Amino acid sequence: MNINNLSFQDIVEYLQRYFPVTEEQAEMMMGYCEMRHFDKKVVIVDEGEVDTYLNMVMKGLVRKFVRKGKNEITLQLATEGHIIDSDISFLKQEPSLVVVETIEPTTLVSLSRKKMDEALEKMPGADRMGRQLLLAMFLKKDERHYKLLQHTTRERFVEYVHNHPHMLQRVPQKYLASYLNIKPETFSRLKHLVRKSKS
Amino acid sequence: MLRGLKAYLSQYIELSAADDLMLSQLLEVRTYDKKARLTDIGETELYLNFVLTGMLRKYFFRGKEEIITHITPEGSILASGTSFFTKQPSKFIVEAIEPTTVVSLNHDNLEKILSSSPKWERAGRLLVQDFFLDKEYWLLDSIRYTPRERFLHLMKERPDLLQRVPQKYLASYLNIKPETFSRLKHLMLAKKKSVPAKK
Repeated sequence: MNINNLSFQDIVEYLQRYFPVTEEQAEMMMGYCEMRHFDKKVVIVDEGEVDTYLNMVMKGLVRKFVRKGKNEITLQLATEGHIIDSDISFLKQEPSLVVVETIEPTTLVSLSRKKMDEALEKMPGADRMGRQLLLAMFLKKDERHYKLLQHTTRERFVEYVHNHPHMLQRVPQKYLASYLNIKPETFSRLKHLVRKSKS
Repeated sequence: MLRGLKAYLSQYIELSAADDLMLSQLLEVRTYDKKARLTDIGETELYLNFVLTGMLRKYFFRGKEEIITHITPEGSILASGTSFFTKQPSKFIVEAIEPTTVVSLNHDNLEKILSSSPKWERAGRLLVQDFFLDKEYWLLDSIRYTPRERFLHLMKERPDLLQRVPQKYLASYLNIKPETFSRLKHLMLAKKKSVPAKK
């Protein structure tokens, strides 16, 4: 993959958020990856398709959702440094139950399933890196699962906005509301409350 | 004694005699009475447990309400996972539903086993991948299925649980109100009686 030095430093930093990786290992990994560009509102993986890529967002914003009747339930909002794919589909090579779609124009560093299998075959330490990455993704998911069950609507809203202040500008409100499992009306009301308390 | 564990691990690895010996040296057998706690809230989870006989549940408190996230009978693994991997205090309780025997592995010994050979490295990756996939399915199923569908799936996949597990635990695990659970159960039993030959 052809990347400039600046992006490489970003990639190393992003990967290190998931697991301890050396520059040398990151460089080896990048040898198996490719850069992909998408316009905004482009479906990267549709329901029923088999996802062939694991992606890290270099720039932009991607959302993952599941269709339920006429509704779309947002499962993940991924910005710079986040990993996103249709997990089950990518790992098991089965038709996807979810949709992965860009919200903004997006650049991804992507590892194809074929290249991943090749890396697991040839690259020293690949199994361990894979385990560490999967474990980090598992822990994130476990945390989110716990918060969805444990916290009240208001707590979920306040914590999310506190930790991701820029997302209110970048993400359509209905997606955020769905991600936090909050009714759009309630979300709107909570947003006004936060504004008021700031001023 | 370890036959159940070996059958479980054979999904991931072909065990040699040396592997058997290593496992028997590093695993600890632990036995619990009904309702005994393996891990409490605030404690650091020291073990990954494979249930040999009996059944465990994992839950947390939302106010005074117990929210059950796992019901694990013999033949699978349970721990307060995030606490085990991050060494942070557990937010969950792991408790025996029946008199239970587990074989347990601490963190250092798990590392020792997984780094002992390339085939264990591979098995470790696949094992963590399954932890991750289970979590993803749980989240997705809680969204895409109605309470009735969740109930019917459980009855189809693990019909023995209805006899072995208090109904309120099953209701909590499925995130269904106890009254609704009761109604669904009676509907199912009435249907079975009236259409005995179906399937």
